[in-house]
Amino acid sequence: MSKKMTLHLRVWRQPNARTPGAFVTYTVKDVSPDMSLLELLDVLNEQLIKQGELPVEFDSDCREGICGTCGFLVNGVAHGPKRGRTACQQYVRDFKDGETVTLEPFRAKAFPVIKDLVVDRSAFDRIIAAGGYISVNTGSAPDANSIPIPKDIAEQAFDAAACIGCGACVAACPNASASLFVSAKIAHLALLPQGQPERIRRVLRMVEQMDREGFGDCSNHGECEAVCPKSISIKTIALMRREYLRALWSR
Amino acid sequence: MAVAMKLDSKAPGGPLESKWTRHKNQLKLVSPTNKRKYTILVVGTGLAGASAAASLAELGYNVKAFCIQDSPRRAHSIAAQGGINAAKNYKNDGDSVWRLFYDTIKGGDYRAREANVYRLAELSVNIIDQCVAQGVPFAREYGGLLDTRSFGGALVERTFYARGQTGQQLLLGAYSAMMRQVDAGRVALYPRREMLDLVVINGQARGIVCRNLITGELEPYVGDAVVLCTGGYGNAYFLATYAKNSNATAIWRCHKRGALFANPCFTQIHPTCIPVTGDYQSKLTLMSESLRNDGRVWVPKKKGDTRPPNEIPEDERDYFLERKYPSYGNLAPRDIASRAVKAVCDEGRGVGASGRAVYLDFSDTIREKGIDYIKEQYGNLFEMYQHITGEDPYKVPMRIYPAIHYTMGGLWVDYNLMSTIPGLFVLGEANFSDHGANRLGASALMQGLADGYFIIPYTIGDYFANTTLPKVTTDHSAFKDSLAEVHQWLTKLLSIQGEKTVLELHRELGMILWDYVGMARNAQGLQTAIEKIRKLREEFWNNLRIPGDANMLNKNLEMAGRVADFMELGELMAIDALHREESCGAHFREEYQTPDGEALRNDERFCYVAAWEYTGDISKPELHTEPLQFEFVTPTVRSYK
Amino acid sequence: MTLWPRSSVAKKFLNAVTGIGLLLFVIVHLSENLLLLTGNPDDYNRWTHFLFSFGPLLTVIELGLAAFFLVHIGSALMVYWDKLKARPSGYSVYRSAGWTSRQTLSSQTMIYTGLVLLAFVIWHVITFRFGPHYETVIDGVPMRDLHKLVVEVFSNPVNVALYVAVMVFLGLHLRHGFWSALQSLGAYHPRWTPLWYTGGVLVALVLALGFIVIPVWVYYYL
Repeated sequence: MSKKMTLHLRVWRQPNARTPGAFVTYTVKDVSPDMSLLELLDVLNEQLIKQGELPVEFDSDCREGICGTCGFLVNGVAHGPKRGRTACQQYVRDFKDGETVTLEPFRAKAFPVIKDLVVDRSAFDRIIAAGGYISVNTGSAPDANSIPIPKDIAEQAFDAAACIGCGACVAACPNASASLFVSAKIAHLALLPQGQPERIRRVLRMVEQMDREGFGDCSNHGECEAVCPKSISIKTIALMRREYLRALWSR
Repeated sequence: MAVAMKLDSKAPGGPLESKWTRHKNQLKLVSPTNKRKYTILVVGTGLAGASAAASLAELGYNVKAFCIQDSPRRAHSIAAQGGINAAKNYKNDGDSVWRLFYDTIKGGDYRAREANVYRLAELSVNIIDQCVAQGVPFAREYGGLLDTRSFGGALVERTFYARGQTGQQLLLGAYSAMMRQVDAGRVALYPRREMLDLVVINGQARGIVCRNLITGELEPYVGDAVVLCTGGYGNAYFLATYAKNSNATAIWRCHKRGALFANPCFTQIHPTCIPVTGDYQSKLTLMSESLRNDGRVWVPKKKGDTRPPNEIPEDERDYFLERKYPSYGNLAPRDIASRAVKAVCDEGRGVGASGRAVYLDFSDTIREKGIDYIKEQYGNLFEMYQHITGEDPYKVPMRIYPAIHYTMGGLWVDYNLMSTIPGLFVLGEANFSDHGANRLGASALMQGLADGYFIIPYTIGDYFANTTLPKVTTDHSAFKDSLAEVHQWLTKLLSIQGEKTVLELHRELGMILWDYVGMARNAQGLQTAIEKIRKLREEFWNNLRIPGDANMLNKNLEMAGRVADFMELGELMAIDALHREESCGAHFREEYQTPDGEALRNDERFCYVAAWEYTGDISKPELHTEPLQFEFVTPTVRSYK
Repeated sequence: MTLWPRSSVAKKFLNAVTGIGLLLFVIVHLSENLLLLTGNPDDYNRWTHFLFSFGPLLTVIELGLAAFFLVHIGSALMVYWDKLKARPSGYSVYRSAGWTSRQTLSSQTMIYTGLVLLAFVIWHVITFRFGPHYETVIDGVPMRDLHKLVVEVFSNPVNVALYVAVMVFLGLHLRHGFWSALQSLGAYHPRWTPLWYTGGVLVALVLALGFIVIPVWVYYYL
């Protein structure tokens, strides 16, 4: 049995979007190092409820790093210290016994805080609606093997398609830019033969929607790539720019 | 006793191969101009919901899509790892629609409708076409064509996959198709909404009541039909591979409004999950079945052998799946493999600190095919395992144990996917339809998408064309009554102000269900479970403490509502398991087994779908049955030896 | 559709194109200035005289250069403005996750180093282009004696120190600016990108040091 640990959690508490928030520090004692960070929050919340206080609200769903629901800044880094993982895949063992861990919501004008660590990321859905798809009505598809796709192209498309839409890229970006999210979808579809017919319209509309949502511009800090739980490369951002220039050219 | 309702499956007669085609030809159509006049409420945006919303909107219907997540893309279909079956026979290994049908119906231990299962197998090929056209990046071979692999319960390679993230990629495909319709103005999206009631007017499903999870407001929505795609109820067990927000509330409220609940005791245990490590644990994580393609399952031959796995010599290892089921080996179906794992652990040969785990060992494959092969096939799964356990599965064998993963039971639906409430359609895991008593791997994605893309678009039109739907608004008294009831119910939950949290009570319920309604069941245990659940339910309603109020984002209140429903559904699961005096598929009654410990079906008494009606008293549901007729296959003893 | 130069991608595109243009100018400018170190003042004066002989064409080139500056600065200010708008309230604790993040002191201070360079350019143009007009005659041709002016300006240690300091800022600006411009133009190659990311350090060092050598040399040896 591994040694129990004590952690202090400095958590952003904000009752709702209209009321200003502040940090409150809580202590959770004698927890197992094998506990996940979100399970630690569960334990803290049980403690708070028993004390008659309001629990810390945070989004989480699959708790295995694929749904993209969870996410906040852990000690200043989106999702936390361990690379290539979401907040739910961080473990107590990744921190020092007695450490004070700061948990702060993703901050961006396009991601308004709803409550505590919960933010509104619906801007991402609106960007996808603007063009993040291939227009193919149900029933009209040709045989799946009618268009061969070279394995390495399919793999590259997959690398981009692995995006879980968690928003860590925006949160970590000094400019609060959504370029990695947007470019991942553009790259996924632009690399595939099925995505060709709509590529001009897609990149123009998605970039326009991204700008309209109030995200910042990409200054190539590359911080997004470093915090992305799926390690999506900023080469997708370069690809998005090529797509965009090409679209302007052929418009 | 009231006269049992006659359950008409509406499954068409005639030759199996042409049932669906003939049925489609007989379904009535709605004209393009009239489609615009109908509004369909789709609840849930997983594979079934998103594909249904997209396809219905493409046809011209007005669709309102609801989900509890902050974005429809997060529905739990996203977590499906291994793959999706389709009878494409691209591998030239003898696959066919018939074989997929046969494997599926046999895999389900002959407790599913032949017509449904055949249709599912038939549509499987269209699904792959549709998804590839949407840009789903399936795995490919060097020639650029699609790759497949094998999965449990099959001797052919018919499982299409996208690394270990097949569900994610398929869902994002369906989600993007739906978002295209959002852009076109045909789908209106309502995220962070939880359906808390079904509104039935003149016996027809005409609307829903949702709670806005941000403001707490109760919102009524009117529609001409309601399509439930809200997934399964495995979270009743607390520890399961489900997402934290997966719940049975939508189907349960519909059940209480009159929809029959079919085969609630058919719950699937998945053999390869990461074992429980502590009592704080919030969920279990699945390791895809695809791993059993290349991993070998074993335990030490000796009891209580505590040596590290690599120090146990080959001849002191028991590859028990290969030993017991030589022809399927490690790819034995889930129910069979899970029970075998439980059996060796019960014998005291389990490994790990708790003794409730077995090894899933890749060292032979790593030796034969190299580490790069493993990385390419299962890289993300290995990574995930390492994240959770802190152990490197490239070096030491994985430790795995069965966990609740899927529920075959669900709301009863006919061949048109309509429940016993006219206008209430149920798709995907939320219905009971295609998997019988056990689902084969890579079939859940297939069913969700078949229902959403290719079945509901046809059958819902027939319902509209045959039905007179008087105009109603949310001013109708049924909406007002429903709103009042839901409000009262929430107020009641909040007013208890006892000592225990939702989490504690949920965990207790989970323990009862896992112990008595889990992998192995018996009459006495089930009776104990029923008593314990009743007691716990009473405690729940007297000793629950929910912080905060209803007019705010309050996840504890959300969870409380869901657990309240699990407390009732859990009892129904036990009642159903108790009544089914046979073993079939995942439902294993210890009293009914063959001498070598395999499930012993009783086709004379139980070759039927058990559909339960809510009578107003949770503890006294009424049983209706839909007899299952097998015209094209003969139910035999399921053998994987 | 919004006007395309307003889009986030286009802003960076314009910034990159003008940035690369300015970088090329800086390289040419350094090569010219190295003539100050030949030991013969006539070399430098002959060259500048050759440039002045372009007449109106020189004005056009200068205006073009000014336009590059303006677009570069304008687009950068827009990016900065968007950044302020996009995150109105900052984090209480924020740190970079480290490599593969390319966030550096250089990338974080682009707007400040840029503004310093802008102020410098204004001072620089006033000092030299529009500074005192000394005359000299080489091979019987009367021409402006810019060499004398340079020596005069850099005989003042304050000017030298200021100039050297600004060149450190130039180096910082180029360290991120060089690779960032290429990335903004969509140039990404799995093999070459790491090279030019590292190459940015080299470009920055060579140019900054090159420009630092001149005033220091002038101060001590001329």
